[in-house]
Parts: sequence; C-alpha cells; structure tokens
Amino acid sequence: MEEEAGEEPGLERSTAPKDFHFYHMDLYDSEDRLQIFPEGNARMRREVVQAEMTKEPREAIKVRAQRDLEEEVNELAHLYGLEDDHELGDEFVGENTLRMGISEYPPYVMRRREPAREQRDWQYSGETAETEDLSFGGWGSTGQCQDLREAYRYTRGRSSEEYECYVIPEEEDEEEAPDIFCVTCKTPIRACEKVLDEHKEHEMTPLNKALESAKDEIHKNMFKLEKQIIEMENFASHLEEVFITVEENFGRQEQNFESHYNEILETLAQKYEEKIQALGEKKKEKLEALYEQLVSCGENLETCKELMETIEEICHEEKVDFMKDAVIMADRLGQFLKTKTDVELSAQPDFEDQTLDFSDVEQLMDSINTIPAPSAPVINPQVPNSATGSSVRVCWSLYSDDTVESYKLSYWPVTDGSPQEDQAEFTVTVKETYCSVTNLAPNTQYEFWVTAQNRTGTSLASEHAVYMTAPSPPIIKIREIRSCEEAALICWESGNLNPVDSYTVELTQAEVPEGSGVTESIVGIPTCEALVQLQPKQSYMIYVRALNMGGPSARSKPATVHTTGSCFHLNKDTCHPWLTISEDGFTIVRSEKKTPARELLPSNIQFTSCVAVMGNLIPVRGRHYWEVEVDEHLDYTVGVAFEDVPKQEDLGSNCHSWCMRHTFASSRHKYEFLHNKMTPDIRVTVPPRKIGVLLDYENSKLSFFNVDISQHLHTFICQPHQFVHPCFSLGKPGCLKIHNGISMPNHVAFY
Amino acid sequence: MALKEISSNKCFGGLQKVFEHDSVELNCKMKFAVYLPPKAETGKCPALYWLSGLSCTEQNFISKSGYHQAASEHGLVIVVPDTSPRGCNIEGEDESWDFGTGAGFYVDATEDPWKTNYRMYSYITQELPQLINANFPVDPQRMSIFGHSMGGHGALICALKNPGKYKSVSAFAPICNPVLCPWGKKAFSGYLGSDQSKWQAYDATHLVKAYPGSQLDILIDQGKDDQFLSDGQLLPDNFIAACAEKKIPVVFRLQEGYDHSYYFIATFIMDHIRHHAKYLNA
Repeated sequence: MEEEAGEEPGLERSTAPKDFHFYHMDLYDSEDRLQIFPEGNARMRREVVQAEMTKEPREAIKVRAQRDLEEEVNELAHLYGLEDDHELGDEFVGENTLRMGISEYPPYVMRRREPAREQRDWQYSGETAETEDLSFGGWGSTGQCQDLREAYRYTRGRSSEEYECYVIPEEEDEEEAPDIFCVTCKTPIRACEKVLDEHKEHEMTPLNKALESAKDEIHKNMFKLEKQIIEMENFASHLEEVFITVEENFGRQEQNFESHYNEILETLAQKYEEKIQALGEKKKEKLEALYEQLVSCGENLETCKELMETIEEICHEEKVDFMKDAVIMADRLGQFLKTKTDVELSAQPDFEDQTLDFSDVEQLMDSINTIPAPSAPVINPQVPNSATGSSVRVCWSLYSDDTVESYKLSYWPVTDGSPQEDQAEFTVTVKETYCSVTNLAPNTQYEFWVTAQNRTGTSLASEHAVYMTAPSPPIIKIREIRSCEEAALICWESGNLNPVDSYTVELTQAEVPEGSGVTESIVGIPTCEALVQLQPKQSYMIYVRALNMGGPSARSKPATVHTTGSCFHLNKDTCHPWLTISEDGFTIVRSEKKTPARELLPSNIQFTSCVAVMGNLIPVRGRHYWEVEVDEHLDYTVGVAFEDVPKQEDLGSNCHSWCMRHTFASSRHKYEFLHNKMTPDIRVTVPPRKIGVLLDYENSKLSFFNVDISQHLHTFICQPHQFVHPCFSLGKPGCLKIHNGISMPNHVAFY
Repeated sequence: MALKEISSNKCFGGLQKVFEHDSVELNCKMKFAVYLPPKAETGKCPALYWLSGLSCTEQNFISKSGYHQAASEHGLVIVVPDTSPRGCNIEGEDESWDFGTGAGFYVDATEDPWKTNYRMYSYITQELPQLINANFPVDPQRMSIFGHSMGGHGALICALKNPGKYKSVSAFAPICNPVLCPWGKKAFSGYLGSDQSKWQAYDATHLVKAYPGSQLDILIDQGKDDQFLSDGQLLPDNFIAACAEKKIPVVFRLQEGYDHSYYFIATFIMDHIRHHAKYLNA
C-alpha cells in the first residue's frame, strides 16, 4: 500500500510541476479550498482517491468529530508533547503530504507517524469495514471510486471533502522514535545514533524544530502554488473562451463559403441550361430553312422536266399544230425562265461566333470573400429611467450572422397629428449597437429608427421606436412652503410644458455632514404639492424631481425647511386693498393715507369690509404657535378663521372666526376675545406688545398670551371642523409684524 | 411642633389629610388640611397655599372646590389652613361672622385683646410654611398662594408684601381694597386700631402702589352676579386700576352669571391650579 500511495504521486510528478505536490488541500480550511477550486480539480481528486485506495479509511478522519478519536488524539498529543489535537491532525496530514510530495524527507515522516497509525487501525478496524461496505460497497477501480466519491461528495456536501485527505499510509514498525534531525543527511535519527560515525560531523537540530521549519517551508510553497493555480485556472478559462470564439468564427465562415459556392454553381447550371436551349433552337431553325429550300428546289426541277417533255412533244407535232403550240409554249417558257431560281443557301452551316457571358459568375466568384449586406437591425424599446432631460440612450441589436461596419440612427421629435414630411430628420452614425443621443428637448417624445451598413450595402430600416427624454427639473415655490414641527407642505411648478407622470420629493437632514445624510424619497406624487412628514426641530434640504417613462429629471434647486415652530405665509389674494405686505412678507401695514374708497365687490377670497389679511397655515392637526408684534395703542385683531369665513364681515363677528381684538379709546385699552360676536369680560392690566397665539387642534383650543411676561390672556375652546388659518386685521393705520417659525415657549404648554 | 393626624383619605391617587398642631404664633390648636399628590411619594413637590374666606374652616375648600384632580395631575401639594385662631376665649370672638373666629383677615393684630392670638399673617407666611417644609415632601423654593374673598385678600397681601417669596398668586373674588369696604373697615379697626395709615400695610390696592415690580402674574376671577361685588365689599376695579398704573400684570376675568359661592370656585379652580402650575413647575 505504501508503494501504491507513493506511485501515483510519482506519476503525477511526470505530468505536473513538481511543486504541485506541496499543495495538499487539507492543510487549509475546507471552505477556503472550495473557493480556490470552484470546480473540483480532477488532479487533486485523483490524488485523493488514490490515497484512499490505501485502505486507510476516511473515517479515520471523522476522527475529529468523534469523541473516541479525540481521546486518542489527546493521547497522541500527550505522547508527542503537542498542545492541541488540531495541531496534531494537521501534523499528520502534513506528514502525509510530505511523504507523498517530498521524497527528500520520507524517513523522518514515516517514523514519527507510525505509532499513531497503529493505534488508529486497531481502534477503528471494525467500524471502518462496516462503513466502507455501506457507503462504497467495496473499493473498485480508480474510476469507479471516483464516481462513488462524486456521489458521496454530493450527498455529504463539502464536509466530506475534509475526510479525503486524512490518509495515513501504512508503514513498517520501528522500535524507537527518532528525536533528532540530521540536517546534512536530511534524516531524522535517534539521539543515540547521533554519536555514530555516520552523523558525527553532521549538523543536528531537534526534531520538532526541523519539523517546524519544514512545515513553514511547505506552507510558503503552498501559498505560491495556490496563486499559481488561480492564475492557471484563469488562463484556462480564457483559453476556453478563445476556443469557443474560434470555433464559432470558423463555423460561420464555412457556412458563408458554402452558401456562396452553392450560389455560383446554381448560376453556372442556369447558364448552361440557357445556352443549350439557345443552341437547339438555332439548329432547328437552320434545318427547317434548308429543308424548305430543298423542297422548292425539287419543285423547280419537276417543272423544268415537265417543260422539257412538253417541248419535245411539240417538236413531234404537225407544222400547224407546232406553230400554234410553240407560241403558247414559248410564252410559258419565257415566263418560267423569267422566275428566278434561288440557288443561294438560305442557312449557313457554320456557327455564328458565340461568346459566353460569365461576368456575373465572375462577380459571384469575387464576392465569395466579401460579406452580405446586413439585415435590418431590431431597435429596443426604451429602458425605463435611462433618459436624462436632454439625452436618451437608444439600443438595438443585429442578427448574429450579420457583419456591420456602422449604424445610422435617425430620429425626429414626435408631434401630435401634424404631418411628418417636412420634419427635419436627424442622423447619427455610430459603430456600437447603442447611442446616447444628446441635445434633445426635455419631456419630449422622439421617434428613432436605425439602419446597419457594411461595405456591401445598407440594411432596411428597423421598426420605429419612440423614446422619451426625462422632464426638466421642477421649480419649488420657496415662498409658498408651509411647515410645522411635524410636517411641511411643499409646492412647485412643473417646469415642463407637457404633463409628466409623477413627482418625487427627496429630503435630507441639512445638519448631517455632506454625504452621510440619508436621503428619504416620497415617490409617485401626482400633483405639484406634497405634505411631507418630518421630525421636529430639524433642518431639511428638500428637492423635487419630475418623472416620466424616460426617467427622473435632475433635482430641483433645494428648498430649506426648518421644523421649528410653524411657518406660514400671508395669502395676498385675501388682502384688503388698504393693507400692504412688506417685502419679507411678514409685516402688515395700514398706511395713513387712505386710498380712495372705492366700492369693493363682495368676494369669497378677498376681505372687503374688515381690513384684514389671512395666512396659509399648513393643514396639519397638531399644535401651531406664532407671535404678533403690535403697538400697544394700535387697534388690531389677531386670531384664526376658516378659509371660507365671510370676507365682508368683521373677524370674530361670526362662528367661522375666533380672535382677540384690541381697541384703544380715551386712553383705555379694551381687550375682547371674540367669537360669534361674543366675548368674555376680561381686563388686562399690562398691554401686550407681542401676542402669542397657540392653535392646538389636539385639545381643541386657541390661546392668546402676552409673550413678554408669559401671561396667559385667554383660551377659546373651539372644535374647528376644518382647518383654520391665521388672520390679522388693523382697525387704524399702523403695522403688525408676524413672527414665524419660533419654538413654542414652555409656559404655553400648560394651556 | 407635633402633628396630629385627624383624617386621611385617598383621593385621585394622592392623600387628603387633616392635621392638628399647637401653633406658637396663634397660641392655640390649629387644624390645617394638606393634599399630597401621587408625585409626592417619590419626590419633593411645590406647595400651593389656599386661604379661605370669611367663616370658613379648612374643610370648605377640600370638600367643595373639587381641586384634587388638577392638583394630582400637576403634582402640587395643597395646603389649606383655617381662617383664624379658635377657642381662645377672647370676649366677643364669636359674636359676628365677619370678625373674630373665622375672620382673621390674615393680619397680625396689634390691638388688645386680639394681638396675642390673631397673628394670621405671621402664621400663614412664617410658621405654617416652616411646619410644612419640615414635615412634608415639599420644595421650599417653590410656593404659591391663592384664596377666595377674604382669603383672596390674604393671598394678594402675602404675595405683595413678600416679593419673590411666592412664584404666583391668584384669587377668586378677593377683597381688593379692604380699607374702603365695610368688612375691611370693621376688621382692621378691630385688629389694627383706628390709625388708618397702618391699615394700608394690609391693603392689596395700596401695596401694589409700592410693589417693587418683581415679576408677579396675577389671575383674578370674579363672578359678575356676586352680591358682595355689588355691595362694594370687593372693589376689584381699584386694584386693577392700581395694577394698570404700576404695570403689574393682572388678568381679571369677570365671569358672567357667577356668584360668590364655591360653585363659582369649582368652575374655575382648574384654571387657577394651571396658572400656579405654570410657574411652580416651570
């Protein structure tokens, strides 16, 4: 057995580089090894199978998993002073490898391994035999074994491969284990032999140390090998590719030749047929002409003979008769002789010069080495999300047999209904089967078609395909953004003339450093408006994209939203004409000079009687807080109202509005908290300069505060059935300043 | 200063207790009620003192006002003292309901025979807080005061005479200007003598005029159908005018249809507790 095990690797050595034998799979983790050899390496397998033929059962390797064996290993470890069983296992394998691969070291390896093997055999012989029978049904030829191994490997998975390598060839017994290594002889020896003449002058190392260095060496070599194997495998797969390509190319060329030859032969055969037929016809024609001539010639001869006979008869007649007949005869004869006898050959027996026209054949012959004109390419439909606002990527494919030198891509914009005859057509010539067409108009459909060309000719045009460019980026209406602590209402202009499919809102937290911020997207928004849920007390950058089937537009310019407090804007459409709103949008001014009082038509939108303006608060049922800076002598009204509050009525004079009204008359301040014309009787000793308004949908309350001294002024209990909006009114010339986006003061939380 | 527990009842998760102790200031046994909210089990809570009106004991407020839920939710210890010394055997102490027993007016009497016992001002501002701070889980730094009628007067003068001592003050139908009303005149002349200039030291409207202006948010509710309002006993307008003059923040709410009773108090007690909680729990 030992011989067998040694022999196979020997054979290997002749076919593979020697180094290969340093590689033993089991020195590595089996998982790793599998990655290195994605497809079972035949050579390795053979080696293993051969090793197994040594009848050292693979069960010997189950070893590690089994308790008995662990004990055994521990025993061995103890025997050899080794630390752990794993190392020991490796060592065995290493030894095995060494033996098989490096012929220089065999004696040392064998001797050390010997006792272990003995024990193992003794311990496992029974079990081994059983398992062998069960799983392999005995050991057949190498090939058979291999098949069985494949099957076994399949059923057992990767783990089984681990076993393959624990092969300890049998070895002869030795009385005493060597413990020293002679470097010069490269032989392990017993300590007692050290003094022998043979090793006297030799360099000695302790066996363990020698073992270590030998193992190191092996590991290094194996690492090299591993790399080499990977390279080789890469090269092999490359070769395989080349092989397939060559095969395909030549196959194609063969076909090409065959079809050309067939074509030429057909042409020649056709020419032959034509020629033969022409010749036959000519022959028939000539023969017929000659025959006709012959017949007429014979007839002439008959006539001459008859005339002769008649004349002879006349000569024998009486004078009177003779004369009578002779005159008639002479006339007849004269008439006969007058008719010209045609003795010219009507048909020449020789051939006219016949030249055969082989020019087309020659052309065919010439074209054997050329290629057919390509057939029409197949244009692909547009890949979703592949377009930008100014470009589309058009793709097509060709029939694999065709040879194409270039493609001509043509296109024009799709226009509704109008005839396309006078439309400008654009073309691009490319070598690839795709083309990124640029400088297109956004959100526009284009019709594309493509032809293929080679030096033989141009194909038919492909079908027409419609591609669409992505839309232009929308434009966020920054001044119309409304927000509160939990949400923001973003509106934008489409930015495109044609409708788009949908919009996407993207948001990132602005304070997070660039790059690390997570972008949240809200997709499929059908309108130019979105209510976005946000976290309180954060800053967000918000972008909008428009989408169509071509893809998304670029991002819009960003809008920044701070979710501190609530932000709203005044709705200028509601503004009474006597009020002006400052540039920043938050100061409301009623000027001294009254504009000429003109009759205002009643409106549902604009305040016509009450000199007021309404803000647009975000429609979110949370808490909203804002402040209004006032002059303490000013007549003002602040509060909330439904959007459809009657615009010709004063704020607070109906059940659609709730407000605080201040009037200053004869140095007395009057504060009213009006709803439906009613107010509680409340006196306030310190006129507020800044009024805080808390709208709390959750608790159905509307509260007013004197901000400077945190004083609670009044709370309405109101249950608005729809959303309300801030309202501001000035009873006398003066101004109000609105403070937005401020966090709610703590004291406000008690109301 | 041994406390004797008279009663203890669980209420809105906390405990409504009544104690009796020997008052040093008043030289008699005094009862007071204290409500300990659930929060007091785990930590110190702010204390809110309630001063009752004429003829009341510690019982009226704790049984009629319905303050417990709000106090429980805001985590306030409510301390309710009696309205005067009792059983001092002073001649005439039980003769009328608006003087003597049940009508201490929260002043320190300077006239015989009242001056040894009728020291309600010192009792309310000194002795009782010390007793409460020493015996209950309260935060001495956070206290406020409120009251009704005579107690409203008491609350206002305690706050106005001790700037910064009370975080906030509020009152139901307080006697705002006692020196000008019949009740006040009777009581002050009895307790403080005939020198009206001494009276001003216990008059809220006068005290406001000298108030140094530390932040004090005053909430006053007044029933519009209060008989004593129309009788000129309460005079809130004088107080409001003085506050407006001195820019002392007051929100005065004249409540349509309400009278002087505990029904009125019960209606707005929540607003007052919240008013104090805003400052005590800020």
